[in-house]
Amino acid sequence: MVSSEPDPTPDLERDDPTGPARDELDRLFSLAYEELRRLAASVRRGDPGCSVTPTVLVNEAWIKLANSPHFAVESKLHFKRIAARAMRQILVEAARRRNADKRGGGMAVVTFDDALEMGASTPDDVLALHAALEELAGINPRQAQMVECRFFGGLDIPETAALLDISEATVLRDWRAARAWLASQLRPK
Amino acid sequence: MDSDRWERVQALFHAAADLRAPEQVAYLRRECGDDQDLVREVSALLAGDSTETLLDRNLGQLAHDVLAPGIPVALRHQLFGPYRITGVLGEGGMGVVYLARRDDLGSAAAIKILRDALLSPSRRDRFASEQRTLAHLNHPGIARLYDANTLPDGTPWFVMEYVEGQPLTDYCASHRSTINERLQLFRAICEAVQYAHLHLVIHRDLKPSNLFVKPDGSIKLLDFGIAKQLDNVDDPVDQTRTGLRFMTPAYASPEQIRGERMGIHSDIYSLGVVLYELLVGRLPFDLSNRTPGEAATIIAEREPEKPSVAARRMAYLPGSDLRTVSASKAAWADLDMLCLTAMHKAPERRYRTVEALIRDVDHYLSGEPLEARPDRWSYRVGKFTRRNWEAVTAALVVLIVVIGLVAFYTVRLARARNVAVAEAARTQRIQSFMLRLFAGGDEEAGPSDSLRVVDLLDRGVQEARALDAEPLVQAELYQTLGGIYQLQGNLDRSDSLLRASLDQRRRLLGGDNADVAANLVALGGLRLEQASYEEAETLIRQGLAMTKVHLAADHPAIAAATAALGEVLVNRGEYAKAIPILEEAVRLEAAKGDTTPDLSNAVTLLANAHYYQGEYAISDSINQDVLRIDRHLYGAHHPSVGADLLNLGAIQMDWGHYADAERYYREALESMRAWFGDDHPETASALTSLSRAIVSQGRPDEAVGMLQRALAIQERVYGPVHPRVASALNELGRVAQQQGRLDQAEADYSRMVRIYQQIYRDNHYLIGVALSNLAGVYVDRKQYTKAELMFRDVIQRYSKTLDPDHQLMGIARVRLGRTLLLDRRYPEAATESLAGYDILHKQGEPPATWMERARRDLVAEYDSLGQPEQSSRFRAELADSSAARR
Repeated sequence: MVSSEPDPTPDLERDDPTGPARDELDRLFSLAYEELRRLAASVRRGDPGCSVTPTVLVNEAWIKLANSPHFAVESKLHFKRIAARAMRQILVEAARRRNADKRGGGMAVVTFDDALEMGASTPDDVLALHAALEELAGINPRQAQMVECRFFGGLDIPETAALLDISEATVLRDWRAARAWLASQLRPK
Repeated sequence: MDSDRWERVQALFHAAADLRAPEQVAYLRRECGDDQDLVREVSALLAGDSTETLLDRNLGQLAHDVLAPGIPVALRHQLFGPYRITGVLGEGGMGVVYLARRDDLGSAAAIKILRDALLSPSRRDRFASEQRTLAHLNHPGIARLYDANTLPDGTPWFVMEYVEGQPLTDYCASHRSTINERLQLFRAICEAVQYAHLHLVIHRDLKPSNLFVKPDGSIKLLDFGIAKQLDNVDDPVDQTRTGLRFMTPAYASPEQIRGERMGIHSDIYSLGVVLYELLVGRLPFDLSNRTPGEAATIIAEREPEKPSVAARRMAYLPGSDLRTVSASKAAWADLDMLCLTAMHKAPERRYRTVEALIRDVDHYLSGEPLEARPDRWSYRVGKFTRRNWEAVTAALVVLIVVIGLVAFYTVRLARARNVAVAEAARTQRIQSFMLRLFAGGDEEAGPSDSLRVVDLLDRGVQEARALDAEPLVQAELYQTLGGIYQLQGNLDRSDSLLRASLDQRRRLLGGDNADVAANLVALGGLRLEQASYEEAETLIRQGLAMTKVHLAADHPAIAAATAALGEVLVNRGEYAKAIPILEEAVRLEAAKGDTTPDLSNAVTLLANAHYYQGEYAISDSINQDVLRIDRHLYGAHHPSVGADLLNLGAIQMDWGHYADAERYYREALESMRAWFGDDHPETASALTSLSRAIVSQGRPDEAVGMLQRALAIQERVYGPVHPRVASALNELGRVAQQQGRLDQAEADYSRMVRIYQQIYRDNHYLIGVALSNLAGVYVDRKQYTKAELMFRDVIQRYSKTLDPDHQLMGIARVRLGRTLLLDRRYPEAATESLAGYDILHKQGEPPATWMERARRDLVAEYDSLGQPEQSSRFRAELADSSAARR
């Protein structure tokens, strides 16, 4: 995005305790957030020679941050969980901004290319997914976290299992149900 | 829904999910009983289970869609010059491109706004000045930059020509272009890139999405030089990352990936990748699903599959639309060579210039052998280690030597004119005419007071005009007076008199006779001095041929015209052609049996030709002979003696014996001043030469006044565009550079370049010399990329105009090596220094200072590369040569 429009500071709702631990997590989150935002620039490219997956992004962010002296995190897995959350936050903010742009300026006449119009409903989808995940977190926090890690963080099944300390079979089961539920929530009513 | 209910819903869902649809309904009815809400909830899950959702999409694609820009509110009403954004064209790695229109004219443009690229206020001025350079790129194959500036927050924006067309690869695919059609497009792209390189602009981000083919089949390159702005971006986070995050790794060169300085060789690499993709239908390396780190390693280390092999494999893939595989095996071998030479990992092994690449494309298209050669073993050695670098703290004042430039123009003139005067004086009627002129004055003192000579000449012209009754005598007088005016430096007067003489003779005698021939040769001599060499050669050849028809073979006029022809050829830089002609002139003169001024003249010219060929020892010994002859003929203070001394001084300069050169030059100045007075171009040239020797000995302050005086004289006599003016500027620039007044030095050298370009039409090694000096200023300013580009341009010019082993070529490569060394690009630096050293080594008389410099650079380079054997070799040579000097 054009830099004349500064990004707001992340204000994600936190599910962690208060005190020093929370400060530490805040800091980690900010670092991951900044780094991912930077890396997301490469996702935004349309070039064929430059297809970057979220897994790659998160890995790169990890490599970069893990070498930073200010960055103390017990494991890469732990970091990936933070990164997944940061990625979700980035996309949600971008989607909100897109919608604000679309509605706020009162500009009815903007000549978009057809091709560019294609993804125009995506911001709403992202916001809908975000809202549904929030609701899922109220019903089953573990499943919400699982979706966040797998979808936004690119964690695979063994990683997710290890992170949540459950079996891979449980991951598969939980995922399928969560996915089905989210799909039912996201479908146009 | 609460957690317990959710657990129950899930359990039912899992149980039902694997059943067939009718069984699911029955199962749910059985399990849920009356709870219709439960049935609905589980049914919704079952439906969701088989529905595509956002969660099934690739996150990268999703991120792209969400992050892809609309027009941000802040930009909607922003004016960019006269333009206003009306739509989005697309997005690249560096930023977003918008469609824009002018409110007044309605014309379209593209506006690129860089992303994440704030410029601090202190850098915005530089940004603006660089944009002005880009705006000057004016080539049909390059999209124009109309305007550029920064938003209030420092985000750079560019208004560019709006280009409709297709990216190169898409175009070739949709047109099913043949291999030759693809190469023609590629060639057109190269020409545009070459044009930019000649204007010292590197693209830095060449890739198909920046290479557009318009509907009419012509090409247009976008975003020239814009990637460079990323160097200026404030990014406190991680500097090495800055370049990486904007570029497209697939087309980036290894040095670019490593974050090293880029040059034209980086563009050449990218062109190689583009060519690869055009030929094969895919990129040389598959970087998808690679981390940037992995991608970097692959680009830096992995050799690409040969295009021929890759293309054959691609052809078997379904849907391949390539028509390129049809080329013969031999043709593919050439295409492999072309492509892989451009894409070589080591920049110094790539095509040196885009022009060289174009040449090989042309060779391919016309079925000729390529110039590119396979790697030799020596180039494959060497992983680049960078340890042991000790900062080179030595003073790096790069001294400039313009080989022979000054002596060149001081030698040839006085001599020919003396001959003309002497010839004229031989004629009885002229003698009496002269006596009448001098009547009442002191004849002996004549030439020593230039003012009075001018008076005498003006009187002479009046007298001659009055001789209407004797038109042939009048014509002869016109020619003689024309010759003397030329000697005086009044070239316009000389021109009109010589042409009047020629017209008169043609009218009276017809167009084909010995007198007209003499006139043609004389006019040719004037053109020579006016630096119109082509016309001079035509006139003199015409005159010589005519003389040979009308006069006996041993007539002095034939010898004189032959010498004049040799002189023109020397001036045109055709030394190899000049030498046999001058040897013929010397033979003709010597056949007369006397020691004459004409003989001295011819021998001097021969000495000069050898000098320019770099054969200093031969030249020195011939010049010593000439000096003896001239002292015998003319005495101590005569322009011919002065000229000999200048030549001898020039040779000492080339040998690096500056104190000896200064002695010769002081003597020469004395001769010139005694003959011509203080305010004469010959005196000015001697002053220039002397100051050169003085500067070389590290006394620049002593030289500046001398040089300014010399420049003023040369400009007055020759006008603003003349080799002598260029020569004076060269010295002034050099002194300014030595004193650290770099802006002045740049201005002087730039003017020198322009003068040579105007005179020589872009095709003379002197343009290269001038550019090389200008590049030295950029080295001093630590603008290494700019300097590097310029040196490479110089080398290319030399390769067109000089022998590949010419000394100047050696010096240029040593200087390029030094530039790269300063830029800490040791492997390339070592290659250039060594190549330069080898060329210098081959000279009959290797120029000592440059040899020394090359050795010192090589020691530093090999030390930095961790190659102690090589560096100790040159260290030993350094010790030897300094011992020899002692």
